[in-house]
Amino acid sequence: MKLVPIMIALSITVATTGASFANSLVPAGPRAGIAKSALSAKPDKEWNRLSLALGRNVEVWTVDGDALNKVTFFGGIASGSPLMREFDKKRQPLPKVATNMLITDIPALLESTYRSQNAVSQMSIDSQEPAMLGAHKGIRFTYSFTRSDEVARKGEGLGAIVGGKLYLVTYEAPALHFFDKDLERYRVLAASLAL
Amino acid sequence: MRKGAAFALTCVGIALAGRVAAADPGLALPAYTAAYQPTTVDERGMWMEADERERMLRDSPLRIRDGQLEHYVRDVLCREVGAERCQSVRVYVMEIPALNASMMANGCMEVWTGLLLRARNEAELAAVLGHEFGHFELRHQLMGFKAQRGVTDAAAWIGVIGAMANTNVNGAQLSLAGSLYRFNRDQETQADLIGLKYLAASGYPAKAASEVWQQAMAEQDATAIGRGQKPKRQYSAGFFDTHPPDLKRSQYLAEAAARTPGGSDARAKEYREAIAPYLPRLLAAQVRKNDFGGSDFILAALAEQGGWTGDLLFARAELYRARGNPRDLQMASLWYRDAKAAGYAAPELDRNLGLALLRNGQAQEARQALSAYLAAKPDASDAKMIQSLLAN
Repeated sequence: MKLVPIMIALSITVATTGASFANSLVPAGPRAGIAKSALSAKPDKEWNRLSLALGRNVEVWTVDGDALNKVTFFGGIASGSPLMREFDKKRQPLPKVATNMLITDIPALLESTYRSQNAVSQMSIDSQEPAMLGAHKGIRFTYSFTRSDEVARKGEGLGAIVGGKLYLVTYEAPALHFFDKDLERYRVLAASLAL
Repeated sequence: MRKGAAFALTCVGIALAGRVAAADPGLALPAYTAAYQPTTVDERGMWMEADERERMLRDSPLRIRDGQLEHYVRDVLCREVGAERCQSVRVYVMEIPALNASMMANGCMEVWTGLLLRARNEAELAAVLGHEFGHFELRHQLMGFKAQRGVTDAAAWIGVIGAMANTNVNGAQLSLAGSLYRFNRDQETQADLIGLKYLAASGYPAKAASEVWQQAMAEQDATAIGRGQKPKRQYSAGFFDTHPPDLKRSQYLAEAAARTPGGSDARAKEYREAIAPYLPRLLAAQVRKNDFGGSDFILAALAEQGGWTGDLLFARAELYRARGNPRDLQMASLWYRDAKAAGYAAPELDRNLGLALLRNGQAQEARQALSAYLAAKPDASDAKMIQSLLAN
């Protein structure tokens, strides 16, 4: 009998402390300071911001969960830094952003990062073309990859190097059904990006 | 009565002597049973799990199905252990760029492409396959499963007793866990030695087995140096290590090979020919792993065998271009051109040469190379991107 109040107190504690790490709703409309950077956007529909801590300047949005559709913002990664936080700096260091990178090195950097850290053994960059990220010249590229869950995924990225820093937005989803389902929603979001 | 007792003692003596002789790690191979079926509850359960895992491998997107690669790997195993023994084996080649192979109790063998890239001849591949086949023949998975269950059961019980007596038993649990890892190391050594017997008996040079581990150690050192770390060889097995340290392994394998040297033909040429269609794909996966030192070591080791071919030069240029220091870009440009001269014909070579030159500030030469790429492949999926680089 004495246990019941203790358990209630415990669950309240868990619920309240959990809230500070929780996912949050991104309403339609203007949003600034994405990925703790100068990146802003104006989504036409709601998104969910996940509390995944992939890195200081990395933010993840999704509709149904990051395994099904995932938009990742990399906001101003400085030269000498990796795209994401390194899980194991010593044994699996990640490639770093470099000052002399060409715009076509952006997809290569993403691929090498995935192969180093995310247990991706198969990945290919399928197309590359010039595009605008806000008012800046950048690159749009498509890719496909398989992680250790063995689900074939497709991705589309939009990146640019602005003021020596790398800005990149990617959309990834299973090739089957999900990629096409939310592609338009992502493209509207990507077209609204400003920097 | 006395006579009877003496007779009984003699019988025991003979029996013991027989057991000692049988337990001696002599030259005989373990008994072979064609179409072996699991017999006990443990074994049947294990086979069921293995069957399930095999179905996943069979349908995996990582599996390399095209061409004859899986056939070839299986042929190497059959050449090594004999056609009869290899009847019960299925081989699945998975596109994972790390040095590994494994075999399950039901005869399903999994080989990763990282092993195929690193092996320099058929004998080195056969050394690893023979080791895995050794685990299979000695039914190690079953014994490992029983040992693991025995130890974890004991650990659980010690935990319960400790809780009842309110004493700290972590030390006892840890030492039991240690005995399990140690058990695994013993199994590895047994499999190493039986693998070596297969290798020697089939006419491959037995020293290939120790060479695999020497190469693995040298590659680890190269990886560490490439990352600005101190090369750190492990000279003795850590408490939680399931495998013997590579150094000890290469030493006892070299000693065993000196006793049973086997044949002299490692079939390096046949190996290179069989892997050639897959080599560009394997190399591309390796050089994009962000392991500069290890990748450069592998390329040099392959070049030592068959010279710097177009494929190897192109891969080396890619590796250096990705690191991207001015000196790297300079060498990359050089090796792209060497690769072309050595017969590397894909138009992507001109694109990547152009990108290396452009990144290094050699705009005029870069334009030439990029234009050559667009001329050869005007409808490439990145043609617009390259055009926009040319326009700048």
